[in-house]
Amino acid sequence: MKIDYSLITRRTFLNTLFGGWLVALCSGSAYALLKFAFPTLGKEPDFVVLNTKDFMNIPPNSVKPFAWGGKVGLFFKNANGTSTALKGVCTHMECNITYKPEDKKFYCACHKGWFDENGKNIEGPPPKPLEFFDFKIEGEKLIVAKKGIKVELPKA
Amino acid sequence: MNCQRLKNWVEERYDVEEIKDFAKKKLVPTHKYEIWYYTGGITLFLFVIQFITGMILSFYYVPHFEHAYKSIIEIVTKLNMGWFFRSLHHWGAQLAIVFLFIHVWSTLLLKSYRKPREFLWFSGFMLLGISIFFGLSGYLLLWDERAFAAVKVATGGAGNLPVIGNFIKAFLRGGIDVTGETLIRFYAFHVSILPLATLFLIGLHILLVQYHGMSVPLSLEKKAHKEIPFFPNLFYKDLIIWLIILGIVVTLATLVPPEIGKKADPLAPAPENIKPEWYFLFLFQTLKLFPGEILGLNGEMIAIILISCGILFFFLIPFFDKKSNRGEKSPLFTWIGIIYFLYFVIMTVFGFVS
Amino acid sequence: MKRFIITITLMLIHATNLLAQQEKVDVFPAVSYDRFIIFQTLAIFWIGIIGLIIIIKIKLKEIERIQKMGINKEEKDIPLLD
Ligand code: HEM
Ligand code: FES
Repeated sequence: MKIDYSLITRRTFLNTLFGGWLVALCSGSAYALLKFAFPTLGKEPDFVVLNTKDFMNIPPNSVKPFAWGGKVGLFFKNANGTSTALKGVCTHMECNITYKPEDKKFYCACHKGWFDENGKNIEGPPPKPLEFFDFKIEGEKLIVAKKGIKVELPKA
Repeated sequence: MNCQRLKNWVEERYDVEEIKDFAKKKLVPTHKYEIWYYTGGITLFLFVIQFITGMILSFYYVPHFEHAYKSIIEIVTKLNMGWFFRSLHHWGAQLAIVFLFIHVWSTLLLKSYRKPREFLWFSGFMLLGISIFFGLSGYLLLWDERAFAAVKVATGGAGNLPVIGNFIKAFLRGGIDVTGETLIRFYAFHVSILPLATLFLIGLHILLVQYHGMSVPLSLEKKAHKEIPFFPNLFYKDLIIWLIILGIVVTLATLVPPEIGKKADPLAPAPENIKPEWYFLFLFQTLKLFPGEILGLNGEMIAIILISCGILFFFLIPFFDKKSNRGEKSPLFTWIGIIYFLYFVIMTVFGFVS
Repeated sequence: MKRFIITITLMLIHATNLLAQQEKVDVFPAVSYDRFIIFQTLAIFWIGIIGLIIIIKIKLKEIERIQKMGINKEEKDIPLLD
């Protein structure tokens, strides 16, 4: 069937086709490039396994750092001898914190943030309390896990 | 020596006369504000220094988190003149950014951005952004404690932007944390991506300056003013200033070589009182003004949004300033420029003393 | 006794020095002879720069003088004798 009049000329049709095709091709390629440029994000670990000997025997009122993925975790024994584990990262801008035994507080040097023994943010800019972990001992192994995570170690 | 044969050889192929004529015809206005027009050239010169020293440093630098720190120590302690060229690269960067800021504010206050030079402003602004990113990425390459903590804070700050924040943060860090991946990424930015972008933008910027000719400040535009030839008069003046600047960076590089701190350790506590490079201090200080929470919203996010708006407005000033586009005086935008300037200076000073 | 005390104090002072050195990486040559050479070179460098600046200034004056006389514009169709 032949139409006498068409609203689009052959030329505009071709131009649109060409332009559209080009845009589609380019955006496809750009998408692939961006996919490559953005890393596949790892996750923070749900739990880590440490050596019991290294951590349970630390003196009271001190901390010992361990690797929590790419971040730092602190194993903490308070003055009464109770042990806990927490993420050693300030809730303000992710600086690593330290424990000040003389004040019995956690301190972030970046902008002078303070947290008390229970991780509560008591002074300075940090907006949230520190994150604490659960831990349990299975013989040699000390398993530090996010709160509320069930850890099932593969039987070796 | 007679180079006639060589001259003929060239002249047979290229119209040398035309180029010479062109150089002779380029005139630049002279007036009482012309001193500010040297700042662009100074920045250009400092960029050349950065490129040259940077290329040589890259012969010896190892972009890997276990070797980076050590390789810089070797550059500084073992290699011939290594300490000097590292120091020169450091001070060149500092001065380049100082002069870039002066350049930006002088074009802002003289309203050189007005019609038809909007694209000069945009390209220049992008160069400023790139230079700051140059500074941040170069800082991390040292891989010492302070650099590590500062980059963590800076990239984390970008993560506070709504919607795209986390994308940007992950893209910059190459993961969820600042790790060896981040170092490699920043290395790629610092020695390949940013230099290429800079070359392109500087080319565009200078081409546009050439195309539009130098602007004349609004207050002097109507009056008669003198013009002098760019070549040789202004060229020689530029040369004198470049020589002085060269002397200054070389002196700074010899007398005040930058320190190297302790090697970065992701498990170690942050060093006491970290401060970012001085050109980030005003941002940093602004962040501190905001409390952690405002009406139940994240204070940092609000701060970052406000800062972004401020920067965006600065970027788009040529579009907002309708008056100077028409060639009228525009005191409002002079005041806006002064306010931006004062804010920057005061916050930077506060950042230093606090 | 006096000698003894002096030696001890001196040793202590040197010991503090050692501590300081461990903290910092030498970012500048430590040998005093090297340092002397460096400062000397810096001075010579400045002399070079200042000399060059003076020459450029003189050249500029000369150029401006010629421009004022208006004889810098070469005439195109001067017959050449060569
Ligand atoms: C790598 C950085 C830069 C280099 C190498 C550079 C270089 C230059 C040079 C050589 C000129 C010509 C003469 C002069 O004004 O000195 C110029 C002009 C100009 N620059 Fe830049 N510039 C840079 C960054 C910037 C930035 C960050 C801005 C503003 C946001 C900017 C805005 C301008 C404007 C508006 C002019 C035109 C001045 C006029 O025609 O009156 N430039 N630049
Ligand atoms: S990062 Fe800890 S107080 Fe800011």
